[in-house]
Amino acid sequence: MVSLSKKSPEERLNICRKYYRAGFAFLPLLWLINAIWFYKQAFKVEPYPQQAQIRTYVIRSAIGTLIWIIIIVAWNITFQLLRTKMGPLGDFLTFVYPRGYY
Amino acid sequence: MHRLIDDNQDSPDEMTELLKSQDNDTIIDGPERPNITNLPDVAIIQTSTDGENISSNAAATASSHSRVEAIDPQDHETTHRHRRNEQPDEQRPLNIEHEEIFKYGASHVVKLFVPVSLCMLIVIITIKTTSSYTPGGATWAYTPFTEDKSTNTQRILFSLANTFIFMGFVITATVILILLYKFKCYKIIHGWLILTTLMLLFFFLYSYFSSISASLNRPIDMITICFITWNIGAVGMFCIHWKGPLPIQQAYLIFMSALLALVFYKFLPDWTGWLILGVISIWDLIAVLCPKGPLRILVETAHERGEQIFPALIYSSTMVYMVTAVDPPPREPQFAPDNVDTNMAVNVDETLNEEQRNQRAAIRNNNARRQLIPRSDVPQTATRREPARYVVERSNSPVIDDDDDDEKGVKLGLGDFIFYSILLAKASALGDWNVTIACYVSLLIGLCLTLLLLAIIRKALPALPISITFGLVLYFSTVYIIGPFSAELNLGQVFI
Repeated sequence: MVSLSKKSPEERLNICRKYYRAGFAFLPLLWLINAIWFYKQAFKVEPYPQQAQIRTYVIRSAIGTLIWIIIIVAWNITFQLLRTKMGPLGDFLTFVYPRGYY
Repeated sequence: MHRLIDDNQDSPDEMTELLKSQDNDTIIDGPERPNITNLPDVAIIQTSTDGENISSNAAATASSHSRVEAIDPQDHETTHRHRRNEQPDEQRPLNIEHEEIFKYGASHVVKLFVPVSLCMLIVIITIKTTSSYTPGGATWAYTPFTEDKSTNTQRILFSLANTFIFMGFVITATVILILLYKFKCYKIIHGWLILTTLMLLFFFLYSYFSSISASLNRPIDMITICFITWNIGAVGMFCIHWKGPLPIQQAYLIFMSALLALVFYKFLPDWTGWLILGVISIWDLIAVLCPKGPLRILVETAHERGEQIFPALIYSSTMVYMVTAVDPPPREPQFAPDNVDTNMAVNVDETLNEEQRNQRAAIRNNNARRQLIPRSDVPQTATRREPARYVVERSNSPVIDDDDDDEKGVKLGLGDFIFYSILLAKASALGDWNVTIACYVSLLIGLCLTLLLLAIIRKALPALPISITFGLVLYFSTVYIIGPFSAELNLGQVFI
């Protein structure tokens, strides 16, 4: 439970930076939260010295999220279409096997 | 074990001061407020043992408010007092004080309803849609006796044995937690907390997804599942143990409580479950209210040391433990022992297999959480998550900004969430919506009453007993008396 308005600008920059850097570990959700959480700070609040840096982080986080979403959707479409045709690899990658009905 | 702690435990003088200070815009923060950044923000999973601690800490800070005139830097409630000291007491009319009491009660109750209801909703929806979360599957290390017995007498005996074994785990976990807290082994508690949430977030989430996927009957690939689990788990660790946006934190707490409740529901045999619910309520009552009760000792120790309750495992509706811009450097890790599930401490069992150990740990962690908040006295099983303590922010001081929010408000332990959800899950197992709704309403009424008592008594209270009693009474009476009665009335077309 943190309120961004209660923190000093340096702390906000620190949090934003940590979220941004941690998102590189295959964590687009972190980037998404970073972008949404700091959106107001980056664009809607009066400028303060660290705001420019926060703005770059937010923009890059948003772009990163979009890229990841595209990757995930593409992979899922590929998997759903080619699952039965991939042979053993398809079975290996499947997490749950759908039950047949009778 | 769940305790609702009324952070606003001010003496009447302080109240008037508080009321008066609301007219002021001065906000004093900084050196008087302890730095709480190093406290984990959310440790919901800690079962009840932790919950109580939290509440006790909150209570401690709250009560220190009334004790001390001077500003104690360790007591960040004094900052409020400091602010309020500027105005003379006589100017506060008494009716405002009463207004504050009532206002405090109503808004907090409503704020607590939403997360509790959400948690129950998640549990019930999961149970109804998936078939793997039904009880009677594998046996559990905590309740080793099965209930497949031929006679009822035998069944009751074995259920009682299960219950006592379970309670033994819980009590041991609580006691260990308290010992750790007394001897200031904060690092151990902290590490344990992190381990618990780690296990909870990743392992239980993974099994949850496997159940959901199996019931949906769609093929999902391993890569996507691992990716989703990794994302949700990592973000959860961030939000809970470090800083994160408040709604996300609350959502994680609710979700963790729901997961734990599902695990409990799956592994508890039928009669054992009911007995455990009853015995835990009694234990909660004892541990919180008796002078020698472990949770009470925890609260008082935390109070003496002027430390805050471990915020992890507490559900807070407001910004709790906010770090202000000019916080002084942290004095020491302020661990609220509450957060740590005493149950967690008990989990070292090399003989169990991995899964059992994990579950045990999960339960322990959960228990710790429960303690903090209303569930203060249930240090029980570590795997039980403590009900998130819901911290209700006092909305009656609009002028005072968020700094006060942390200190005010009711905290509800995560353990309470979990046990409420378990009760409702068992009530919904019959498939009869009458029973489910009756139990739901009774739980909420119990919560209201507990909050009312909290507002009047202003001390840490267990949140479990009243609600669980109402729930149990209503469940059995609805199933055996009211259900057939309404069916008969319906058949005979008699409308009352």
